[in-house]
Order: sequence, then structure tokens, then C-alpha cells
Amino acid sequence: MNNTEQPAEKASAMQVAKAVFWSFLGIRKKDDLDRDAKMIKPHQVVIGGLIGGVIFVLSILTLVKVVTS
Amino acid sequence: MAVVQDVHGHHDHHPSGIMRWVTTTNHKDIGTMYLWFSFAMFLVGGFLAMGIRAELFMPGIQILEPELFNSFTTLHGLIMVFGAIMPAFVGLANWQVPLMIGAPDMAFARMNNWSFWLLPVAGMLLVSSFFVPGGAAAGGWTFYPPLSAQGGMGVDMMIFAVHILGASSIMGAINIITTILNMRAPGMTLMKMPMFVWTWLITAYLLVLVMPVLAGTVTMLLTDRHFGTSFFNAAGGGDPVLFQHIFWFFGHPEVYIMILPAFGIVSEIIPTFSRKPLFGYSSMVYATASIAILSCIVWAHHMFTVGMPTVGQLFFMYATMLIAVPTGVKVFNWTATMWRGSMTFETPMLFAIGFIFLFVIGGFSGVICAIVPIDIQVQDTYYVIAHFHYVLVSGALFAIFGAVYYWLPKWCGRMYDVKLANMHFWLSMIFFNVAFFVQHFLGLAGMPRRIPDYSLQFADFNMISSIGAFGFGLTQLFFLYIVIKCIRGGEKAADRPWEGGNTLEWTLPSPAPYHTFETPPVIK
Amino acid sequence: MTQGVTKINLEMLKKLLIFSVIMFGFGYALVPMYEKFCEVTGINNLLQPDVVDKNIKVDMTRTIAIELDANVRGLPWQFKPLQSNVKIHPGESLEVMYEISNVSDQEISGQAIPSYSPRFLEKYMKKFECFCFTKQVLKPGETRQMPVKFVIDPQIPVDVNTVTISYTFFALQPGK
Repeated sequence: MNNTEQPAEKASAMQVAKAVFWSFLGIRKKDDLDRDAKMIKPHQVVIGGLIGGVIFVLSILTLVKVVTS
Repeated sequence: MAVVQDVHGHHDHHPSGIMRWVTTTNHKDIGTMYLWFSFAMFLVGGFLAMGIRAELFMPGIQILEPELFNSFTTLHGLIMVFGAIMPAFVGLANWQVPLMIGAPDMAFARMNNWSFWLLPVAGMLLVSSFFVPGGAAAGGWTFYPPLSAQGGMGVDMMIFAVHILGASSIMGAINIITTILNMRAPGMTLMKMPMFVWTWLITAYLLVLVMPVLAGTVTMLLTDRHFGTSFFNAAGGGDPVLFQHIFWFFGHPEVYIMILPAFGIVSEIIPTFSRKPLFGYSSMVYATASIAILSCIVWAHHMFTVGMPTVGQLFFMYATMLIAVPTGVKVFNWTATMWRGSMTFETPMLFAIGFIFLFVIGGFSGVICAIVPIDIQVQDTYYVIAHFHYVLVSGALFAIFGAVYYWLPKWCGRMYDVKLANMHFWLSMIFFNVAFFVQHFLGLAGMPRRIPDYSLQFADFNMISSIGAFGFGLTQLFFLYIVIKCIRGGEKAADRPWEGGNTLEWTLPSPAPYHTFETPPVIK
Repeated sequence: MTQGVTKINLEMLKKLLIFSVIMFGFGYALVPMYEKFCEVTGINNLLQPDVVDKNIKVDMTRTIAIELDANVRGLPWQFKPLQSNVKIHPGESLEVMYEISNVSDQEISGQAIPSYSPRFLEKYMKKFECFCFTKQVLKPGETRQMPVKFVIDPQIPVDVNTVTISYTFFALQPGK
């Protein structure tokens, strides 16, 4: 099973943020993806995704506030 | 490998006759039953659709009394969504997921059997609700209160059916997640999985996320009806609008539950017949995940007319329109996969291309509906009907047809009649557009949905639409004939009937033996 | 497959089942969350008096005809406005009276829910006092007259000349 191979090193918060950002757009370079797959752990993606989701919602809300004010 | 399988002689181990099907825990048997069940429900739902279109053939009330007409539209929606499309995808997952990841069976074989056999019970409940006093539920497939708080026994039967279908879906989803995460063949990392498996993994997560919410909603409805609670009852301090929020919190991800596996199927078929690997595999994975996440924060775009502050309307409008970005990435990737490929146009490929073409039309009308001022105009008109039939029929259903033709040679070891199958595609394609394209015009002109009668200016387009619908309905009986003909006496199919097919299932003999991958294959 | 995989699978099953149960609970948690949300954002406050600017100007140039309507759903009550229509200048405060009587021989409680036509009247209709803010309990045979005090905001669009205010009484279950 794939669980046996340990990630070489832990991913930095910046790297998770980048991966999450690109996932919202739906595009990712192959090399970066391979690095992501090796280094980022699932729980990091989940936490990153949740934070990303909140930021996403807040930024739309800000945009709406600007438009309606 | 075929020889090895036969020496083991597993074929003798299972009971024969009807008990084989009742007690089976084999993922292929269960997948087959899912597919036949969904086809049976597809015919029932189709019969209801024919009734609706027959009534709408001409202005005035001819065949169906208004109350019965409302039951027809309600049950047509429920049966097609929960009885036909969803079980068909689960059936395909049952057959293909273990074959594509090199697993011997699903993770929980016994639970798999159970989650299938819940379905016929729910199906019977829905169909028989037509014959109880008061008739079947008639408040629309979204069963908004206060209409669904009234109504007779038929509504209760519908609520129980939704409970049962929800339980079955949750069990199926848990099974699929566990199978995919824990039982992949050695060497198959997550990022080497076929797209169909990926889309199903994400779909299954969406299912366990929102199906329980639906179960909660219908439970509240049930206690409101019979046990004096007031979740949605305005008189008791409840709020019917709350129902709509909770329902669409489930309902919008549900839309993607019905389309993501279709994306997966198309992502398998297009590379095979373009003889090129899928363009941008990783971005496909990311786009799928992105669509799934976005789908959870856009629900209120179904409710622009119920009353909402402008800030809310704009928020949901912007969020909805942003979903077009990852969806566009997907369409781009499919097109880029075909670009300069050595394409051939076998039946599955025809359905896949038809899917892209028509799904894009449905996607665009979706973006149009997302714009608040337009949506307030077209809410509950035939424009919306046309929109979601473009994504559900020519989206989800065409993908299912494509998948059936793609994998039928593997399932039964025989080739379908290519000429007839291509004819099935072209007839479906033409009649579908005849039936539904004109509904855009009807909707823009203001014809409301769920109404058995209409004013005279809508007469011509309705007649055209009905003719298309009858043609589409008959074409699906033709599909049944093609499949039966294939099973009974099609030409023998090769192990790898499509030379471009590179996923694991094509390494197996055709038909796929009863037990496969008992020794896991090794992926380089 | 080996025993090990089955164990992993069972663990996974447990986690996913717990997750499903949590989501089932989340469906119910949406009910108080929704109420809190409406309270915080001020949507849907049917039961609170409105706060009105003291310096509101009466617009004597306009007159709005108000039609009063009353309905009862599932109650053995009679419910009617004492006057079926009134005329008002926007910005002027007005009191109208309604009358309910319990024609049954039981004590019954009910709650009135307002509705307005045109729908956006809700935004301009400011009520200081209303029988609809609380539940009404009527003894057998009791008759009661109840006021609604309100003002219509002069900001109301100029093309509105006639509006309808309607109240519907719903039965409350005992103990509510």
C-alpha cells in the first residue's frame, strides 16, 4: 500500500497554500503536482482547503460589499 | 490469466438461479443488478415523462387531471434522479472501480448487497404511492413545504423512499471510498488512478457529506407532518424558507454527484478513442475537487425569488459563475485530448462527443440562470427545465450510455451491433434536441413549469417538444433491444476491444471472469 | 486479501459512519444557525416592534389607501378588522383595530402572521405595536379587540397608491 512510503520532508505552509490556490482554479503543472503528491500530507490539504474556502467566501463577500456600497 | 481463473473453478461456488442474485456479494453481480434496476426505473420515469408530454401536446386538459399531472411531474423527477441516474452510476462504480484499481471485490461485499436490495423497496414505495388514497406526492420533486406538509399517504411513502434511497447511497459511498483508498493494487498511487475512479472518489465524499443532511430534512418534514414539531410550519414558529435552504444545501452538491462520474466516464472514453493520454490529468483531478468544494457554497442560487438581501443574491451569483472556471478547464482538457489524436468514432466516442457538445450548452444556460435579474425572469419556467435536462439527460445520461457501450464487451464478452448502436446515438441526439431545445424559447416566452395547460401562443413549440420526447422515449426501448441482442448473440469480443484502452480492466479476459485480481496486479 | 486490509477497512467504515452521523446532526444544527443568522442580520423579525426615526416627516401631498384583511386557518375563531379600509399620509402614524372572538368552548391559543401586498411594503411598514408580536390566548367565548400601530415610511415608491395588509391566525399546539 502507498501508506508505507513516508514523505521525504514536510511541505511548507506556502506550498500547501499554492497547491490549494491552483486547485481552486483547477490547473496544476505536472512537476509541481508530483512534488505536492510526495510532500503534502492529506490532513494538510484538508486544513489548507478549509482555510482556502473561508478566504474564498470572504473575498467574494468583500467584492459584493464593494459593489453594493 | 483466464486459464488460472478457470482452474480455480470459482464459478461453482455461488448458488445458481434466483438465490444467486439475492445473496450475491460479488461486485459484478451487484453492479449488473444496479444497472438493470436503474434501467427499469428509467423506463418508469420515462413513462411518466411521456404522460407529461402527451398532456402538453395540445393546450387544454386531455389525458391527465391536474392533480395527477402534478404527481407525474413530481415522481418523474424523483424517480429519474434517485432511481435511474444515481443507481446507474453506482452500478458502473461497482463493476468498474475494482477492475480499474486491481481490487478483488468491493471492501464490504455484504453491505454492498444490502445497499442494492434497499433500492427495489424504495422503488416499489414510490411507484405504489400512485395507488393509495390521495395519490402520489404532487408538490414537485423538491417537496417544498407547505405543499409537502399537506398531502396524504403518498407523501409519507415518498419520504420513506427518500430515507431508504439515502441510506443506500451512503452505504454505497462508504464502500466506494474504502475500496478506492485501501484496496488499490500495489504501485497504483492516487495520482495513477484512472479518472473515473478519481471522480467517483470525490463524488462518494460529496455523498457522505450531503446525503445525511437530506435524511435530516425529510425527517424534520415527517415529524412536522405527524409528531407536532414546527420546523417548517409558519404557524408554529417554523419557516418554510428554512426547508429550501437545507434542501438545496443537499440539492446543489447532488447536482454534481450526478455529473462528476459522467465527467470521469468521458475522461476515460475520449483518450481511448483519440489514442492519446488524457491531456492535463492532474488539472482534471484538481478541477474535480474544485467543483466539488464550490458546489457546497452556491445552493441559494435556486432560491433567488424567495426573498433575499441583495448582498446574498450577489454572493451566490458570483460564486455560481465561478464554477464555470473549473468546468471550463475540463472541457478544454477534453478538447485538447482530441486535438491531433488519431480519432475514431465508435459508439462510446459518439456519446462522449455528444456529451461535451450538449453539456456545454447546458452549462452556458446554467451561467445565464445564475445571473440574478435573468433568473428572476426565468425562475420556474421551461427555460430552467431545458437547462437541467441539457445537463442531466445529454450530460449524465449520455455519459451512462457511452459507458455501457464502452464496457459492455468486457461485461458480457460480446460486441454490440455497431450499426444499431450508432443509430441509437443519432436518434437520441436528434430527438433530444427536438424535445428540449425549443423549451428554451417556451421558457423565455414565459411558460411556467408543472402546469398541465398553457395559453395558445405556446402551442407550436409544445407540440414539437412532445414529438421529440416521444421519439426519444421510443429510442430508449431500442437501446434495450440492442443490449439484449448483444448479451444473447453478439459477436465475440476481444479482451481489449478498443486498441486505445490502457486501464487495468482491459488486461482481463472478456467476459470478465467471476473473480478477478485475487492476486493483485503490479503497476509499474 | 489479507486480514490486515479488512481491519483498515473496518476502521475506515467506522470513521465514515461517524462522519455521516455528524452530517445528519449538522442538518438539524442548520435550524438554530439559520434562526441566529436571521436574527443577527435582521431578516425575518416578525415578532419585534420596529424602531422609527422620531423626526419622520409626514408627506401630506400623498395619500395611500390601505385595505385590511383578516383570515383564520384551522381555528374556531372569528377574526375581522373593525374597518375594512383606511387612508393615510406616508409618515403619519395610525392605529387600526382588529377583533377576534373564540366561538368554541375551549381555551385556544393562536399566532397571527402578517403578509403584505405589494410584497416590498414590508420594508416601508414600521409597526410599533401589534397583536402579532405575541401569541393570543382566548378563553371560551371570549372576544377581544386588538390594535396595530404603524407608520408607512415616506420613502415608499411614488407609484404605490393602494396596499393590502393581511393577518392570518394559525392554531398553536397546546404548550407552545
